[in-house]
Amino acid sequence: MPIPGLTIIGERINPGFRSTQALFDDEDFAGIQALAVRQAQAGASYLNVNAGTKALKDPHFMVEVVRAIQAVVDLPLSLDCPDFAVLKTVLEAYDAAKAKGMKPVINSISESRWELAELMKVRPCKAILMSSEQERDGRIVPNRTGEEVHEVAKRKVKRLLAGGYAEGPDDFFVDVSIATLAADTEGLIKMALEGIRLVGADPDMAGVHVMGGLSNLPQHLPAKAADGSDLKYHLECAFLTVAMPLGFDTVLGTPWRDYRLLPDDNFVLREFRRIVELRESDALMAVVDLYQEP
Amino acid sequence: MSDPVETIKEWVIKGKKNEAVAATRDALAAGTDPGSIMKDGLIAAMSVVGQKYSSGEFFLPQMMIAARAMTEVIPVLKPHLVGEAAESRGKAVIGTVQGDFHDIGKNIVRMMLEGAGYEVVDLGVDVPADKFVETVRREAPQFVLMSALITLTMESMRRTIAALEAAGLRSVVKIGVGGAPLTHKFAAEIGADFYSEDAYGCVQRCNDYIAA
Repeated sequence: MPIPGLTIIGERINPGFRSTQALFDDEDFAGIQALAVRQAQAGASYLNVNAGTKALKDPHFMVEVVRAIQAVVDLPLSLDCPDFAVLKTVLEAYDAAKAKGMKPVINSISESRWELAELMKVRPCKAILMSSEQERDGRIVPNRTGEEVHEVAKRKVKRLLAGGYAEGPDDFFVDVSIATLAADTEGLIKMALEGIRLVGADPDMAGVHVMGGLSNLPQHLPAKAADGSDLKYHLECAFLTVAMPLGFDTVLGTPWRDYRLLPDDNFVLREFRRIVELRESDALMAVVDLYQEP
Repeated sequence: MSDPVETIKEWVIKGKKNEAVAATRDALAAGTDPGSIMKDGLIAAMSVVGQKYSSGEFFLPQMMIAARAMTEVIPVLKPHLVGEAAESRGKAVIGTVQGDFHDIGKNIVRMMLEGAGYEVVDLGVDVPADKFVETVRREAPQFVLMSALITLTMESMRRTIAALEAAGLRSVVKIGVGGAPLTHKFAAEIGADFYSEDAYGCVQRCNDYIAA
């Protein structure tokens, strides 16, 4: 059962996943197509496509990947590549008719890669706006507070709408960047949650989507929580449980992961709520309590 | 736990910084050899933690807490160290290469090196080649250690090595590289001296070079 109101961008077509890396190494297009179909059947609304370094060495490789995927699924694609020329070629090859007329998504526009915004003029697009960093005095610095996340997201949306780059707020996904809990001594997850809350509550940003990728969150942790439950899965669900009421509505994730909202008395959710308020060694100690039996 | 050095070691392994600092003060007051606290207490503790982490018994938060406990003890101990015990084992400059903002792996290596008695100059993330060059010139380290977590930024490692070469500094340092997408083959191709799959391996390679 999918969570009502949660849009899933399928994350699996990315060589960062070892099994997918093998498909790219072998140029196994049938395998990539099967992965696309599996994600679509599991409930994805979009599919993210990251073709790794091969895409940079040969722009046509990513075009081939996109064509192969569009031949078997009718979902819009999120095109995940930092290179302007490659993305331009891929956007020109993208066939909206094969995605029920839905626009492709550019993943992603950040203040360090602002030139990618020009791609929204190649054809109508949606865009993921990376909001965890900003340009200050010509340097890219990471954001440290929810206020900064909100401010950066807001100024990007304003600038793109004013410049005629998009049709409306529905074309934007604000990506808040969800940090790794096991190493979060500085409250970065709290920053993301605050950013979600501020964007979600801002009437000027009504209709803008708020998203994040969940794969970093449970990294460097064991499989089981202290209560014996699946720690990584429950942490991802705990994040959604806390973030969705604040305005988080789109996840870059694995569609067959069966995300669900957790009841208030769930052990991992309870601990997660407590940990995100802590800093430094206190936060780390609390994370250890999450998986180590007392 | 009557042996004071053993007590300090246990507190550091458990990551109890207040207890570790108190035990160190007590041990010093009771006349315990500061060099032994360093070697058999702190360095031994971090070696245990590193092994437990490598074997999968410990996870990242435990390693970080232990490293923080050790970091708290060092300033208490340092003024008492004399002679050989006061010297660092070697010096390393470490950083995540330009374009890459991942710092977890780099931080693990830094903690393990500090735990093994090395002095570490941490340049942080997104470090341009010229920053490595400038730091090597200023700090004269034995090692330059670079991390990259995305395939797209691995090329920054090649550029950094080329920049050290161009600055005439390549031969004065041993260069180690690491990160999930890396391989021995890539390390050899860009002219690094070594690649390590994990932080523990990296410390061992540094130890080998120091001993040679």
